[in-house]
Amino acid sequence: MKVTRRDLFVWGAGAAAGLVFSPVPWKLLDDTSIWSQNWPWIPQPARSPVEVKQSFCSLCPQGCALKVRMAGGWPIGVAGVSTSPVTRGALCPLGYGAHQLNWHPRRLQAVRHKESVSSWGAAQTAFAKACGEGPVIVIDGYPGRAASSILEAFAEKRGSYRVALSPELGALAPYERWSGVPANALGYDLENARTIVSGAPMLDGWGSPGRFTRLWAESAAGAKDPQLRLIQIEDSFSRTGSRAWQSVRIRSGSESALAAGLAHVLLDERLVPARGPIPRLTLADAAAQAGISEDAIRELARTMVERRPTLVISNDENPQVAALNVLLAATGARGGIVRRTKGTRHLPADAVNLNARAILIDAKVPWNFTPETDAEIFRFAAWDDGTSKSDWLLPAPGFLEELTDIPAAPTSAIETYAVAPALSKPRFEVQSAAQFLGNLDPSLGTTEKLIHGRCNGLFRERKGTLYGAARVPLEKFDSVQKVEEQLWKGAIWTGDPPSVGGWRCELKEWPQDPEKLRSRDWASEWPAAVLPPLAVKLYQESTLREAPERRNA
Amino acid sequence: MMSRNQFVFGFGLAVSLFAGWVLFPRALYSARPQPVEFRHKTHAEKSGISDCSQCHAFRDDGSYAGLPSIDTCAGCHSERIGTSAAEATLVDHYIKPGQETPWLVYSRQPANVWFSHAVHVKRGGLACTECHGSYGESDQARLYQVNRISGYSRDIWGHSMSRLRRKPGDGMKMSDCEDCHRRHGVDVGCLGCHQ
Repeated sequence: MKVTRRDLFVWGAGAAAGLVFSPVPWKLLDDTSIWSQNWPWIPQPARSPVEVKQSFCSLCPQGCALKVRMAGGWPIGVAGVSTSPVTRGALCPLGYGAHQLNWHPRRLQAVRHKESVSSWGAAQTAFAKACGEGPVIVIDGYPGRAASSILEAFAEKRGSYRVALSPELGALAPYERWSGVPANALGYDLENARTIVSGAPMLDGWGSPGRFTRLWAESAAGAKDPQLRLIQIEDSFSRTGSRAWQSVRIRSGSESALAAGLAHVLLDERLVPARGPIPRLTLADAAAQAGISEDAIRELARTMVERRPTLVISNDENPQVAALNVLLAATGARGGIVRRTKGTRHLPADAVNLNARAILIDAKVPWNFTPETDAEIFRFAAWDDGTSKSDWLLPAPGFLEELTDIPAAPTSAIETYAVAPALSKPRFEVQSAAQFLGNLDPSLGTTEKLIHGRCNGLFRERKGTLYGAARVPLEKFDSVQKVEEQLWKGAIWTGDPPSVGGWRCELKEWPQDPEKLRSRDWASEWPAAVLPPLAVKLYQESTLREAPERRNA
Repeated sequence: MMSRNQFVFGFGLAVSLFAGWVLFPRALYSARPQPVEFRHKTHAEKSGISDCSQCHAFRDDGSYAGLPSIDTCAGCHSERIGTSAAEATLVDHYIKPGQETPWLVYSRQPANVWFSHAVHVKRGGLACTECHGSYGESDQARLYQVNRISGYSRDIWGHSMSRLRRKPGDGMKMSDCEDCHRRHGVDVGCLGCHQ
């Protein structure tokens, strides 16, 4: 029998049809996709027995409690700590992917001087020279740490210390001006509020992520008339807005106008006992600017006071919104803005216009902070998004690569203290700003010694509770070593509940509009280029909003 | 009567199916023996080990320790018990030099998967056999078949190439995890396993 060309084609067609009904294409597709995950240039977590350690995130001042899975000395996974009294098991999307950040392609691996590779020695010499030639300003983005004390001590000798306020801390700044109580001594008593009027992304990464989301889940979620009413006011319909008890859409940038309109109604209709300065803006103008009707503002004002205590939370430093809390008598009151500590130290926050020979910027200062200055800038950063105009870029420790202490979060109503030890070693030479300055001036001390001193202070005061494996009042500890040991293992100390009263705000005139609005949430202070892929994916999928790079453009 | 074209087409189809279902799996997987011929059944019968967790233990903190260390084996095998070649290998190559046995783990998952035995066994109440099958009753250490492309064990896909009519514990792919979670009504989202 002769085999023809036609036979070959027919045979091939049969073979092709058979192939579809065999496992070959489907299995090869599956296997090659798995194979592509293991290409040699893709970083792989170490294979070794996994141990779980507790620590704290220091990427932002919220200091969330972490359960870190470690393999071979590297963090390979991060989760929240459900027993933490502050975050209660929650993390922001950036925190969940933070163990990937140390391997990020944008990781700053070498000292850079004006776009060329330099050395730590050259940076040290240049900074020492600058210190000898004129005043130096040190800018901190995470005040209250032991490292901050070193930065401040150095700055006091050689120039001045400034703080780049986080949006949450900035939102409390107006009360500092009106009462004299430092913004970093204040916090929100969310747990006792019954109505929260907010322009902040409360359920989308505001403050310590777990605190409000858990409170919301327990007191409001799914209820038609919840114990806790959240009235969300914003210019775009966010995830927080979609879950709030009431959502009000206003024009972008009209928060101050709406606040003025609400103040008119609160005072005109005597909905609040306080008497206060009347805003210049009329109710009609406020309504026109906010893009909602006068009746809607009236209705909103009445709803705000229906169930008290009512607390108004601004997304940023907005004195007009803050003034509403003064009218509502929510300052120094239960369910309002409380004083969590008796500290009287004000944070020097005027960090925009800076006149000095050199400026040193700590790695905790958000990347989008760019000082307007001619001074030589020494910027510490763990990640480089390529947009910095700094003269010197100095590689700082990445996620969990340095010992730091964790002071209370800016929004916290109670004092807290924790320690985040260095759990992994950096793969290249890095220095924190505190180490760098400590090398220049050894009399400043070290972070470790300062943390020891702070632990000693806590032990001597014998107040509050330590939340570790168990909840133990501090007075039960018989030595500072035991307190320190617990803190180094991931315990958190919490102070006594906030005191109500003892401070008040005086509003002599209705405040003016803020000069500049700050950024909104956890993603906006991070350049999109250095967000770990998991965080970007979660961010996009969880909120159905545009990617950070588009929003920031 | 079958035409010539039908016959040729059918022949091509048959060759392709035979190659896909019989030859392809043999080519796809390579087989390697375990470093020591281990018999679960013998240990269960002769040593009175009745529970998996006696060797595959949980640590004091609740986490799963995985394979037993060489110290556990040395508890009985510090000197040779018997005359088998496997016994000699275990004692002379691993226990006496204090070197861990490089077991080939049938159920090893990719690095991007986080799996907690403690959660599934202690909280979920799953029996070991629900995922690992009846391997604990086996009388010989079966060959470790590794996928030449992906580099993972055949146990992950399962021994049935079609993944149909599989026995319990045959297959540990993500879809198997999802099926089980669906059956038990446990929703953990993406981050439950891919943290």
